[in-house]
Amino acid sequence: MSSPLLSVSGLTKWYRRGGKTIAAVDNVSFHIETGETLALAGPSGSGKSTIARLVLRLVEPDAGRIQFDGEDFLALGGAALRSRRARLQMVFQDPLAAFNPRATVARVLDDPLRIHGIASRLKRPRRIAALLERVGLTPDLAPRAIHEISGGQRQRVAIARAIATKPSLIVLDEAVSALDVSVRGQILHLLLDLQREERIAYLFISHDLGVVRAIAHRVAIFDAGRIAETGDARTVVDAPQSAIGQALVAATPRLNRA
Amino acid sequence: MTALLSIRDLTVTYRRDGGEVAALKDISLDIAAGERLAIIGESGSGKSTLALAVAGLLPASARVDGRIDWFLRPPPPLGAKAPPSVLPDISPSRGEIAPSSRPSPISRIAGGEPAAKLPISPLEGEMSGRTEGGAKDRRPSAIATDYGPLGGRDIGFVFQDPSASLDPVMPVGKQIAEVLYTHLGLGWPQAFAKARTLLERVRLPDPDTALHAFPHQLSGGQKQRVAIAAAIAAGPKLLIADEATSALDTIVQAEIVALIRQLVSEDGMTLLFISHDIALAAELAERIAVFRHGRLVEIGAARQIISAPRHAYTRSLLDAHLGLDAEPLSRQAEASP
Repeated sequence: MSSPLLSVSGLTKWYRRGGKTIAAVDNVSFHIETGETLALAGPSGSGKSTIARLVLRLVEPDAGRIQFDGEDFLALGGAALRSRRARLQMVFQDPLAAFNPRATVARVLDDPLRIHGIASRLKRPRRIAALLERVGLTPDLAPRAIHEISGGQRQRVAIARAIATKPSLIVLDEAVSALDVSVRGQILHLLLDLQREERIAYLFISHDLGVVRAIAHRVAIFDAGRIAETGDARTVVDAPQSAIGQALVAATPRLNRA
Repeated sequence: MTALLSIRDLTVTYRRDGGEVAALKDISLDIAAGERLAIIGESGSGKSTLALAVAGLLPASARVDGRIDWFLRPPPPLGAKAPPSVLPDISPSRGEIAPSSRPSPISRIAGGEPAAKLPISPLEGEMSGRTEGGAKDRRPSAIATDYGPLGGRDIGFVFQDPSASLDPVMPVGKQIAEVLYTHLGLGWPQAFAKARTLLERVRLPDPDTALHAFPHQLSGGQKQRVAIAAAIAAGPKLLIADEATSALDTIVQAEIVALIRQLVSEDGMTLLFISHDIALAAELAERIAVFRHGRLVEIGAARQIISAPRHAYTRSLLDAHLGLDAEPLSRQAEASP
């Protein structure tokens, strides 16, 4: 196996607030292999969402390196960065906030196909229909407005948009946290299907250790901007070694069905 | 167990896009005095509408059928004053508090009888626990009588988003003191002293500083502690927590749930805990009511609902729960053909 799909080393991001400097992310290193799910878990403010934004280059780090697909991702700019971004997609917690609510489903899916030159104008409607079917929606949803469809349907559209450019990595930031449990299960199964078939890697950010254990291969538990522990998702969740890992497990509600 | 309130054939209909949507259909259930009852359900199940109906906070445009009977003991004579003039006029209820400070005819009703039989909306005033996010379109008091419980005094309400509940430009100590001033008739110095004690009770670090803090200076968990302090300030009989921990991370959620459990037990309050999380509900509540599409699917002891649910929908909710012992989904998928 060659170098990992994504490799992050020494990543650091400071925020200045009220004259004080706080390290939101403090010397963090991790990697993700092709087709693998790495979960980032931790309490609010532990830096896991800042990692997502750094990896997507929505914010720039103060120190550290990001290697993506064998390239120095931080060195890219302009057209080169835009073209690589097709390979690195994202799904957020609230697709209603992520999309123009008055846009139609077709418009939301048309954008990446057009911007990244994936399909010609004539071919795009068929491509959009195929994407909708791929995420378990019917093509007749295409003319509907984003605000008219249900939360679960909206998150499926967000996933369809993310896979439109055939990415090798999708960053999912609390992507299933706002969904009803029944819908959540369907979306998680959809993500697993896509991963199996397209070999997509996921950076899966969640505060819910039950979900992390169910879907991730490995987990990194964050606390105060640093990785407190990392390892196989089941091993870590079943027997956390760090204080924060133990606190997270202890705080997770349990169903004693027996 | 004696009932604190009894809900019969409650149907709530919202007008939306020219049509009518029934948010609750024929709900009948009793809430016992001193019990912890959880209402669980997915989005659109009507669980929040039930909380609002019990608190009398339904929008004026909602159509309500059925009844909610309260069995409150006569409240002590009220030395309540009109809300302070410094109150930003966000509530429509300035004039509505006045009727509630009249001696209540409840005292004429003998024990055991329903103290109040109202069509709905038990509230005559407002939720002045400062936990109501913007009460402009709340049901006016016209429908209410003098008999019902008073929001903020007899009912405390904790919402999901404390940032929306708290006034962003008023120190949190004042927001709690206001409840005490309004409902218990305390003078401002006493009200502030009691507010400080309440901040201690909800375990805010450094309550003296917190008294003067603005909401934006506090974390999400700390803000929710302030909202809880305001909700319990007047010593309500019923505490309603509507998804009060859903926006918090797991660790803070566990702390807030432990706090609610302790406060409810110490003050002998009745708890109505609204949640989408069946595991969380089972840890906190003695009884669980499962709602779906505006109907009550089943209600029973928490242990029975979890280990021997009678309804297929409850089983599907339990199966969808991803606990720490759940089989990883990939393996589940591989196992099934």
